[in-house]
Amino acid sequence: MANGGDSILEMYLYETNTLLEQLDNIMLTAEQADTLSQDDVNEIFRIMHTLKGSAAMMEFEPLMTIAHRIEDMFFLIREGSMDVIPEQDKPKLFDLLFKSIDYFRNQVGKIEAGEPLSTNIDSFVDAINMFIDKIKGDKAAEDKPAEDKAEAEKPAEEKGASQGEQVAPTAETAPPDARYAYCLRVFLDEGCGMENLRAYMTVSDVRDCCPDFLFEPEDMEDNTERAAEIAENGFLMHFTSAADRKAAIEIVSGLGFVKNFQTIDHPLPAPKAEAKSAPAEPPQAEAKAAPAAKPAPAPKAAPAAAQGTGHQIKQSLISVNLSKLDQLMAVVGEIVITEAMVTASPDLRGLEGVKLDNFNKSARQLRKLTDELQDISMSLRMVPVSGTFQKMRRIVRDMGQKLGRPARLTIIGEDTEIDKTIVDAISDPIMHIVRNSMDHGIEANEKDRIDAGKDPEGEIILSAQNTGSEVIIKIEDDGAGVDPDAVLRKAQRQGLANPDVEYSQKEILNFLMMPGFSTNTEVTEFSGRGVGMDVVKKNVESVGGVVIMTSELGKGTCTTLKIPLTTAIMDGMEVSVGNSIFTIPIQNIRQSFKVTEDDIIHDAMQGEMVHRMDNFYPVVRLYQTYGIETQATRMEDGILVWVETGESSYCLFVDELLGEQQVVIKPLPSYLNNFGIKDAGIVGCTILGDGNISLILEVANLMGVPAGYAGY
Amino acid sequence: MSDENMLFATEQEQMEDGKQIDEIATRKFLTFQTDNLLFGIAAENVVEIITSHTITRVPMVPSYVRGIINLRGQTIPLIDMRLRLNIEPTDTDCIVVLNIDEMQIGILVDTVCQIIDIPEQSIRAVPEHNAQKYVSGMSSMPDGSGTMLVLDCHLLLSD
Repeated sequence: MANGGDSILEMYLYETNTLLEQLDNIMLTAEQADTLSQDDVNEIFRIMHTLKGSAAMMEFEPLMTIAHRIEDMFFLIREGSMDVIPEQDKPKLFDLLFKSIDYFRNQVGKIEAGEPLSTNIDSFVDAINMFIDKIKGDKAAEDKPAEDKAEAEKPAEEKGASQGEQVAPTAETAPPDARYAYCLRVFLDEGCGMENLRAYMTVSDVRDCCPDFLFEPEDMEDNTERAAEIAENGFLMHFTSAADRKAAIEIVSGLGFVKNFQTIDHPLPAPKAEAKSAPAEPPQAEAKAAPAAKPAPAPKAAPAAAQGTGHQIKQSLISVNLSKLDQLMAVVGEIVITEAMVTASPDLRGLEGVKLDNFNKSARQLRKLTDELQDISMSLRMVPVSGTFQKMRRIVRDMGQKLGRPARLTIIGEDTEIDKTIVDAISDPIMHIVRNSMDHGIEANEKDRIDAGKDPEGEIILSAQNTGSEVIIKIEDDGAGVDPDAVLRKAQRQGLANPDVEYSQKEILNFLMMPGFSTNTEVTEFSGRGVGMDVVKKNVESVGGVVIMTSELGKGTCTTLKIPLTTAIMDGMEVSVGNSIFTIPIQNIRQSFKVTEDDIIHDAMQGEMVHRMDNFYPVVRLYQTYGIETQATRMEDGILVWVETGESSYCLFVDELLGEQQVVIKPLPSYLNNFGIKDAGIVGCTILGDGNISLILEVANLMGVPAGYAGY
Repeated sequence: MSDENMLFATEQEQMEDGKQIDEIATRKFLTFQTDNLLFGIAAENVVEIITSHTITRVPMVPSYVRGIINLRGQTIPLIDMRLRLNIEPTDTDCIVVLNIDEMQIGILVDTVCQIIDIPEQSIRAVPEHNAQKYVSGMSSMPDGSGTMLVLDCHLLLSD
């Protein structure tokens, strides 16, 4: 691949990784159902086909071979449905596929790292072949050696092909111009896919060394219909001299997807008129005939078509550099502010009495568009955690099998959207914790679980939740829990704990997150090296989060990651108090309602409460808390917003509700943190459409702020 | 970002305007007035000068922190020089945006005067008994218009 190799490789890696993830998901659901639906089979077939095609394009032979074999296998399964697999062999099939996914991942990792691919794939191919044999039954016995031979022969075949074949000229191969008398017909590997593009790539490679030649069909690059034709008849290149052709042959024979080629010499004084009409017609006729004749021997054409439709979904996704999104956000922010500056320009105030209908109309339109632009650019950075969560299924499955501990993973709230940088930062920690749960949490012995009155199958619950101010990710298991005494003893042995000091349960659990601590005496494949929890803690802290561990001996362990939404977007309710505007996270708002002074119940501590739904809730007057001057000091003049977080539920008294808005949470300038602003119930700020700043209230902290204490 | 370039250009132009004598080691200062005091701040700390920004007040902070402003999507805290010096505040909207150790902060001043070059050796230490805080040195203005107090950014931020 002479031209643009890097970006093609990047595309390849991205595509392959996406496909592997898809495959992983299919297999996991399939394994639970213990069968593959026809759709699954088709999908796997399609994925393998694409993997094979792109691996071939990149000339990753071993990857191509394996994908090819699996594709063959699924071709058989597709023909005969899942019934062709004997019941007892199904787990083997699943295992084989998981193994192949791992193999692909491994190899893709090597490609990413720039290491050479491992070419030792014989045993793997054998395993697949054995499976194919089983499916084929008796017939396979004869086929297998033949197929194996075909695989083995491939390199040899290439060598053989490099000598080329001399074929007598026919009218069809006649050059369009008599000068180009030296013809080369190239045949591509069967089923390598996208034949027209491969042909075109060959042509452009050849062009690097000899610029002067013609090729047929001329529209091979754009016309996908040519693919079938090229697959069947190869494609032609016409050269002016034998030397050019020789150079081209060298290039062509070096390409992985070229099967063989023929050289055809035309006598130089070719009758011009005849030659011109000849090549023009047959390809056209063939092109027409090919699709018409094809449907019957469809195996190759059908997947190609299916691949086309399956592809459209994937191709609507592109990967974008995160820094570009940051830039976009910055520019959009400025556009919004500038828009407000233009439409509310002080110059306009001098024009009172002048008709500005058209201006206002355009301004409204601009407003609408910038709002949309803002919404879209904000949503770009957000990705659901489902991708990260789904990967854990695989870990639970693999470890469950290896350790002989049946466990299921329950996922809650996988649609929760988190900023991409945070997702990246927490995916490793989550993996560590899930592994820990499997390795240390879930009991090694099923009997232990039954004795403890638990479901013999362990359960790990992975949940994500957006509380408005932070994302909470919980990893719970119903395993044996942490034995605080054992941890403490170990911590003392490691010199982490002082033997003379009494530690609380919480402090003991914190030892688990110290570097170099590992309770499992044996180092296993999965954990026990003591690099787990402290790395988890570090990673989570790097995005400003905290890790909290709770555990009850015999009941299970729960690890909670709390990550603040520093760069995230949330829905907020804008409220005004005096001249200030505050944002209350929508998730925290239960309802808002008006009351009169008479509805307020006073307690002995000068506190105020309001009766709502058979309960009493404290009232916090925001203007008092922050010492803001406002007209609305009486209950009748303002409105109560009933807010709620995990622990507390109370009513905030504000002047007015301004409306709901999606806002980007920005951290407060670090200088202000010197003044303990976070304790005053303010978690961050956001920039409103008009360029003003609104402070975001932290509902959980606000309640504890004494009135007037946090005055301006 | 084109306007950043523009900003940069104007800043350079400004700097070039003030370039007069190269022979002696000089430092560039931006001078500004707060009440009747003439302050100079090292030009390398100055990012830009802005006017008429809406200030959002913030709870829990001392009174001299007037709040935060939105500078092209960035929130910047704002210190009122008058209140920081315990002088009665006035209605002013001239903000000098400073970059102090990679942290942007705005200071609210009465008026910005000019950028001048001050020879290094003409900057004198502040007399010990002098009560002025946040000042690390002083120098007479080259044109004899008065005395400039060199504002120390770090002292300004510390409590």
